[in-house]
Amino acid sequence: MEIAFYLSAVVAVLATLGVITGTHPVHALLYLIVSLIAVALVFFALGAPFAGALEVIVYAGAIMVLFVFVVMMLNLGESTAQQERAWLRPRTWLGPAVLSSVLLLVLLTSLIGADVGGRIHGDTLTAKAVGTLLFGPYLVVVELAAMLLLAALVAASHLGRSEAHDEAGAVRHVPGTRTADGRGRAASERATGDAASSKESER
Amino acid sequence: MTSLLALSPLILVCATAIVVMLTIAWRRHHELTATLTVVGLNLALVAQVVAWWQAPVSVTPLMTVDGLAVFGGVLILIATLACATLGHAYLEGAQGPREEYYLLLLCAAAGGLALVSSRHLAALFFGLELLSMPLYGMLAYTYRERGALEAGIKYMVLSAAASAFLLFGMALLYSRTGHLDFAGLGEALATAGGDGWLMAGMGMMLIGLGFKLSIVPFHLWTPDVYEGSPAPAATFLASASKVAVLLVLLRLLQSSPVQDAWLHSLLAVLAFVTMLVGNLLALTQNDLKRLLGYSSIAHFGYLLVALVVNDGLAAETAALYLVTYVLTTLGAFGVVTLLSSPYSGADASQLHHYRGLFWRRPYLTAVLTVMMLSLAGIPFTAGFIGKFYIVAVGVEASRWWLVGGVVAGSAIGLYYYLRVMVTLFLPEPGMQRRDATTDWAQRAGGVVVLGLAALVVVLGVYPAPMIDWVRFMVAG
Repeated sequence: MEIAFYLSAVVAVLATLGVITGTHPVHALLYLIVSLIAVALVFFALGAPFAGALEVIVYAGAIMVLFVFVVMMLNLGESTAQQERAWLRPRTWLGPAVLSSVLLLVLLTSLIGADVGGRIHGDTLTAKAVGTLLFGPYLVVVELAAMLLLAALVAASHLGRSEAHDEAGAVRHVPGTRTADGRGRAASERATGDAASSKESER
Repeated sequence: MTSLLALSPLILVCATAIVVMLTIAWRRHHELTATLTVVGLNLALVAQVVAWWQAPVSVTPLMTVDGLAVFGGVLILIATLACATLGHAYLEGAQGPREEYYLLLLCAAAGGLALVSSRHLAALFFGLELLSMPLYGMLAYTYRERGALEAGIKYMVLSAAASAFLLFGMALLYSRTGHLDFAGLGEALATAGGDGWLMAGMGMMLIGLGFKLSIVPFHLWTPDVYEGSPAPAATFLASASKVAVLLVLLRLLQSSPVQDAWLHSLLAVLAFVTMLVGNLLALTQNDLKRLLGYSSIAHFGYLLVALVVNDGLAAETAALYLVTYVLTTLGAFGVVTLLSSPYSGADASQLHHYRGLFWRRPYLTAVLTVMMLSLAGIPFTAGFIGKFYIVAVGVEASRWWLVGGVVAGSAIGLYYYLRVMVTLFLPEPGMQRRDATTDWAQRAGGVVVLGLAALVVVLGVYPAPMIDWVRFMVAG
């Protein structure tokens, strides 16, 4: 199990290096998924199967969704097929593929070696144990995490608001004397602003 | 039941956040949202009394409600109340949705309350994140201004990096000691001696917390964020957020005193450098918010002196200094907010906006003058009492270098605080006027600012009640 732990850890570090050195978001995401799966394997090796499973479900699953979003957003042009071909160059997928095959090898050897319940040392941490801890002594932290998610959601929804929708819904109290700083706004922003004010005058 | 009562301020603030959120979903109404927020915060302030009756009590292994926690909670709630009132004045003239500000403010206040009563690294981390996360939204609240967006993004990226340092430091400490609670950590550290990993862990935690307090090598974000963000958000960042982080650092240092001579002298050097660099960089600023940013860096340098000494009167001194600092900062930023409120666009924070303010708004000028005097530590203002205690603690512990730093820093500080005051009284130029509304003193924001000014003067002349209260809370 030590070898499994160290191999997965090395893979995690290499994959994360791939994430932060990658200049293309999709390439970086490929490495990120490998890194997350490697961390999951580290958890398994440490005897925390529940954390490992969560790592796969939550992080790798969520990153997959992120992946889809990035692909959707970057893929809008007419050069889609060309881009797809560019993405599927061996240079792109070779690194993550090698790293994940190492992970697969690690997983298979520990499965075949009948080392299924193996861990480095210490007790196996089950889902039940995690649950009792979370809703016993750590209850306050769970509640704080809930508030944290609420705050993140509110901040994101406020900052991510689309301008046009926003201006139409808002009441303009003061005409506003724009200072020098207001003039530097991007042209596209101004265009949406104009569209919004025309919508406002229609109402 | 005792635990619930002891945590009632935190619970009330969280509940208010939920109620405000549901009200916004039901109906967008600026006055209603602001009123609900203020009522909830006041209830929480009253609930601090209830919590004080229960104190000292441990709530789960994560939190403790004692004098320091109640003291910090009261200070944070007062600062949040002032920010809510100033935010109301500021947002009245703003475009776009206004109600989310209060929601974010309440969440951040809850984070601060959790932080000051935490006695466990997990609670510390979650409290800190709950304090910072809404601040990203608040700092970039008027995201159509490029400055505000820049401030929000800068704070978010750097704060995330600091959190990573903090977490890694905690992991190192945990791996060496096996404890996450402050008390257990303190015991283990006392017996462990000079272990390289432990030292690295403590250093990394210091980086994480030092970033939030803008201690000097980690201060670069402060002026930009203060300058760009909307004034009420900057007020919260400068007052409540810093109070919470400093108090948790104080609690951490109290329960696990720094044994290591190396780390101890590192803290002293940081304090010294922070005072001098903060004051020196403030000298050439032409923007009042930037200037206040640098001045807050310097003030936390002074506060670090109390943490370095960390015995005898140190906790009381830090608490007392925090009271005077919070009152003064709230007042100074309050004036900036009132001047910026009636306008859209960037805040009125350039010094030339304040040129000749005395001839137009004499009372507002008086408020800003009092705040500047208090920041400089002139006698008969609250700032003097705080600075006096800092010097006294330094002298008592024979930390002459640090005392010299405080004196030199104050001397340099006097120059730029006086420069602001001189600007206020210069004859009015023919440039564009940025002015508070004519009825500013009858509005809630104006009343808050006037009250703060009165408090700063009264506490400067007759500080005994404040000193007694602080001693009672922190020592008792």
